[in-house]
Amino acid sequence: MDVFLQIVVNGLLLGGMYVLVSVGLTLIFGVIRVANFAHGELLMVGMYAVYLLSKYLGLHPYVAAGPVVIFLFIIGVAIQRFIMQPLMNADPEIQIFATVGLSTALMNLALLVFGADMVSVQATGLRERFHIGSVRLIYANMVMFLTAVTLVVGLDLFLTRTYMGRAIRATSQNRLAAPLMGINVKKVYVLTFGIGAGCVGLAAALVAPTYPVFPTIGTYFVLTAFVIVVLGGMGSLYGAFAGSMIIGLIDSLSGFYIAPDLREVVYFLIFIIILIVRPTGLFGLGRGSE
Amino acid sequence: MNQDIVIGRGVSASTRGNPLRALVEPRVYLSLAAILLLLAIPVGVDSAFVYHVFVTICLYGALATAWNIVGGYAGQLSLGHATFYGIGGYTSVLLLDHYQISPWVSMWIGAALAAAVGVAISYPCLRLRGPFFALGSIAFLEVFRLLVTHESDLTGGASGLIVPLKIGWKWMIFREKYPYLLIAFGFLSVTLLVSLAIRKSRFGYHLVAVREREDAAMAAGINTVKVKLLAVLISAALTAMVGSFHAMYTTFIDPPTMFSLEFSVQIAMFALIGGLGTFAGPLAGTLLVVPITELARGWLGGAAGGLHGFVYGAVLLLIVLMLPAGIVGRFGGALARLVSRLPGARPTEDPEVTAELTPVVTAAAAGQPVLVAKNIVKRFGGLAATDNVSLELRKGEILGLIGPNGAGKTTVFNLLSGFLTPDSGTVEVVNESGQTVSPKAPHGFAHAGIGRTFQIVKPFGKLTVLENIMIGALHKCRTISEARCKALRVARHVRLYDDRHTIASNLTVSGLKRLEVARILAMEPQILLLDEVMAGQNQTDVNLAVEMIRNIRDKGVSVIAIEHNMHAIMKVSDRVVVFNSGRVIAEGAPEDVVQDPAVIEAYLGEEYMHAQAI
Amino acid sequence: MFKTGLRTVAAVMLIGALVYLGSAIATAASPPTIKVGALYPFSGSLALLGDESFRGFELAVEEINASGGIQGGKKIELVKADALDPNQAVGEARRLISVVGVQAIFGTYASTLAFAASQVAELSGVPYFELGAISDPITERGFKYTFRTCPTSKNFAHAAVDAIIEAVAPALKIQPKDLRIAIIHEDSLYGTTVGGYEKQRAKEKGLNVVEVMPYSKDTVDMSSLMLRLKGANVDVVLQTSYVNDSVLFFRQMKEAGFKPKAVIGGGGGYSMKDTETAVGAKNIEGAFDIDFTQYQTNPKAAPGIDDFVKKYKAKYGTTPRSGHSLANYFGAKAIFSALNKANSMDKDAIRTQVMNLDIPAGTTVTGWGVKFGPDGQNTRCTPFLLQWQNGELVTVYPASAAVAKLKIGVGM
Repeated sequence: MDVFLQIVVNGLLLGGMYVLVSVGLTLIFGVIRVANFAHGELLMVGMYAVYLLSKYLGLHPYVAAGPVVIFLFIIGVAIQRFIMQPLMNADPEIQIFATVGLSTALMNLALLVFGADMVSVQATGLRERFHIGSVRLIYANMVMFLTAVTLVVGLDLFLTRTYMGRAIRATSQNRLAAPLMGINVKKVYVLTFGIGAGCVGLAAALVAPTYPVFPTIGTYFVLTAFVIVVLGGMGSLYGAFAGSMIIGLIDSLSGFYIAPDLREVVYFLIFIIILIVRPTGLFGLGRGSE
Repeated sequence: MNQDIVIGRGVSASTRGNPLRALVEPRVYLSLAAILLLLAIPVGVDSAFVYHVFVTICLYGALATAWNIVGGYAGQLSLGHATFYGIGGYTSVLLLDHYQISPWVSMWIGAALAAAVGVAISYPCLRLRGPFFALGSIAFLEVFRLLVTHESDLTGGASGLIVPLKIGWKWMIFREKYPYLLIAFGFLSVTLLVSLAIRKSRFGYHLVAVREREDAAMAAGINTVKVKLLAVLISAALTAMVGSFHAMYTTFIDPPTMFSLEFSVQIAMFALIGGLGTFAGPLAGTLLVVPITELARGWLGGAAGGLHGFVYGAVLLLIVLMLPAGIVGRFGGALARLVSRLPGARPTEDPEVTAELTPVVTAAAAGQPVLVAKNIVKRFGGLAATDNVSLELRKGEILGLIGPNGAGKTTVFNLLSGFLTPDSGTVEVVNESGQTVSPKAPHGFAHAGIGRTFQIVKPFGKLTVLENIMIGALHKCRTISEARCKALRVARHVRLYDDRHTIASNLTVSGLKRLEVARILAMEPQILLLDEVMAGQNQTDVNLAVEMIRNIRDKGVSVIAIEHNMHAIMKVSDRVVVFNSGRVIAEGAPEDVVQDPAVIEAYLGEEYMHAQAI
Repeated sequence: MFKTGLRTVAAVMLIGALVYLGSAIATAASPPTIKVGALYPFSGSLALLGDESFRGFELAVEEINASGGIQGGKKIELVKADALDPNQAVGEARRLISVVGVQAIFGTYASTLAFAASQVAELSGVPYFELGAISDPITERGFKYTFRTCPTSKNFAHAAVDAIIEAVAPALKIQPKDLRIAIIHEDSLYGTTVGGYEKQRAKEKGLNVVEVMPYSKDTVDMSSLMLRLKGANVDVVLQTSYVNDSVLFFRQMKEAGFKPKAVIGGGGGYSMKDTETAVGAKNIEGAFDIDFTQYQTNPKAAPGIDDFVKKYKAKYGTTPRSGHSLANYFGAKAIFSALNKANSMDKDAIRTQVMNLDIPAGTTVTGWGVKFGPDGQNTRCTPFLLQWQNGELVTVYPASAAVAKLKIGVGM
């Protein structure tokens, strides 16, 4: 029973990390309707930024979150403005390939600049564990989980209580009608991509104490993030949260009860079933057949 | 986008009957020359590396062309095509290792297996579009890769499989380089021929229709599911065969190489860069990108690690930004115009046709019911959009369907044409041979002889008027030329002959409405469901529409027409059915219905009582 | 205007003539070289060790050139080539052979690349020398001109299992058969091959293997795997992993409070300084590693090893990141000595001299000897047992190569 509890807790905390990584993707996918295959590379860039700030300015990774979020926000804005926007009227497939090209370029750029070595941020006690009852928890994971909850709630408030947030939701529901209501769709898209990328920046700062960074680290997260976004429903923050928890639990449970190398089979199969049976996802706003 | 590229007109008309005459066409002889260069250059240069680059170009070109059948023609973006490639490779190597079967034989087995798998995994995903289908295909690819890795007893698992170096044509392994090139070139030629054949066939037109507007395609009698699955089947089989050969070329396979996501994305990318859905696009994209990749790696690979990868990614990004319509989309038009000035080009001529419509002959006698709906009910959530409706259409009559907005008229049409299935009740059709059938699905209804238009017109916007009508004509015509003749006739009949080469999206509202009718008329239905064909048109056009409906009926077609234009509908209908809130509230001759107090109360108003006199 | 034009033309012609003359002189002055290809993964996920391996090769070539070259003063000209997958490997091998004109290919660290490239070389009659990839079938295909100087996965696996019996169990003062052993490995070619042979060998020797768990090398979480190991009361873990999963393993081992009696890696991530930096010297303390020879080895058993480290530092500015460079250096030196004796680049002459090589173990920088079996595999290269102690990877077994005593316990 203890073991089971530990597995569940591990799964939920892992889910917390997944939330941070996938929230940005669900926003971008849900509002701009772009499958951003360069998402993992944004995480990688963020993690390298955290590493540099930590190494050369001695900043604690959590403190580095501030500048890194802003940095990634700017990158997101630039990507939307200079790459996605010119392609808005082309086939949607073209936009996907633009992100693929971007992903390759970023990965190799990192390789060029930093080399293939893996680098780590100093943990400073964040990887220490503490106990609640018989369950072991790691500080860094707990922080990620709590930040994930805060982020989801905060973004939700932004989307529902502010004008810009409502504008974003309106655009995601009806791209053609929104401008008729006075919404500047281009601005909305730029802002959304920026926010989405900024979320990834936050994720990078929190993940950095736990994972070393190297040029291809983005590829470890991107597919899982897509699975979560589809599972939860694209555009839905709570969907991303629920999806992350589910995937985290599946990961943890199947890793123990079935086999570690079949984890991915389990959640890809679930992903396929969701796509077929309920493409809108658990909480989705859009239609899966768009 | 130049439509010659989309449908590939030009050659077929002038080569009817004699394929050799095609060789004189500049498009044909130039293309042949260009493709033969792929053989000539490496043989001329005679360098093993150049051979390799051209083998790679041929193989990737073949893969991209095969991919395009699903991704371009059928419009389903598959990013997991390596699944089929891997199945082909593994089948061949396993059969070779265990049973010494020659790859020339096992590649067919691999193709069959891949085709079966393709159909099995695509069928549940067909409703998905765009990035969702793409993600689904990626998920299947990953599942395959992981399972093949896991089942190491069967597949060799992560350790991979080595192809024994048996030399000779039987084993597809050679010391010299040119046999590899010949085989690769062979695969390229086969895929190009298959792609071209599809393009110019009835199947090709069906694919375009399904990709452009699935519901309009269904209304034109196309079994959209079958069409898409057939595309997957062909594409998967071709891809698997290339996989078999490539395994022999590299002599080592393992799950990450054969079921590679990156590779799947690459072949889709070639097709996209070249021009999605075009015939020459995939090969053009391959010709552009592969040399860049090879050269970048050759020059820069030895320099700092990652430099050639960065250049490759950056170049890709630039190409996508500069050529969003692809190479063919951007340059195809200009190139085609240039080519058509060369000797041998002949302008396409359309044959002269009359405006006579073919009479429709059915087994039913005049006045006999041909379409009977009994107690049909359709609910959406708690609302009964169709509430216990019974009606019948008799042979040779024009039945008017009227009622206030939101009364459920279009819902009834959807139920009578297979676009919706009733929750209870039956819809029966007496088909042309006199049998009573209960069709399912839109194409079933189309086969029973029902044609319907849509209230909001659904043209195939990127195709010409003629091509739009041809899609309907292909319902009964078996060949393209037959369909073209019939389409020309129908075009004359609805006064669209002069606009026949106009792109549909450029027509006026009146033109679009007539096009909608024309497409359905070309199907030679025995029952026609017209949904507000007179909406939004001026009086002259309305009168012409009334005239057209009468002509259609005189040819033997039974018509139900939904209209809001009271003058018109009263003038043209033999009987009228009135709807309100999902129920039939009155039925009978126009002059009687108009006086029914329930109807007046519902919406008519007394001004229209004397419609017949106007 | 006419005058300016004339002057321009004259200037251009003059410059052109000088360039032509200069290059003619340059090429005339340069002596003939022997071109060899260096095929490694310089980009992609294997870039780190690909680059490290190449450095050893590069150092060997520079050293030989500095002392006069081979075959009567000819310098070796190495041509780098990068490949990420078998198709690229084929392409690069072809390019090296037919465009660049190399007369031998060295490489590659990555077994999948080695399979493809060596096949091209064999069919073209160009000798192929594998200096670092360990998948056994590379030299089991009946090729005549493919040779491998380094140990294979089977060597690794046998050494790991034998080390339990001969070194670890005695140190723990437990009978080998009483130890509960778990074999975990990443599920690609590398881990599966080594893990598979470990399982076989353990069975042969009658050891008690309680868990065999492959996992994906791209994993971001191993906590469930840890719980399984803990639940099975595992004493000894045999792991075959890359860098990322090694780091994850040690970190999560600590987080889960799993304390096995011993952990033995099979090269890969276990030998990398990057792993130790990321994990922390304290946490990796005591972990064993069966591996290519690393730098804390008794120079008596591996003469010249300290010189190699000095040369590496001088050229690259850091200490070597793993023993891959050493292994490549060793292999290159041995092969070039054979090429020197062959005095020609004819493939059969090369084969004869390579097969004639007879270098006893304990006389080279890696401590390995050189004697090729008929299949082209070096039979005198047994990996040593190393252990992480105080942030350094030191050789602890066999005694002749050891620089430190074997410790027990993992992590502090």
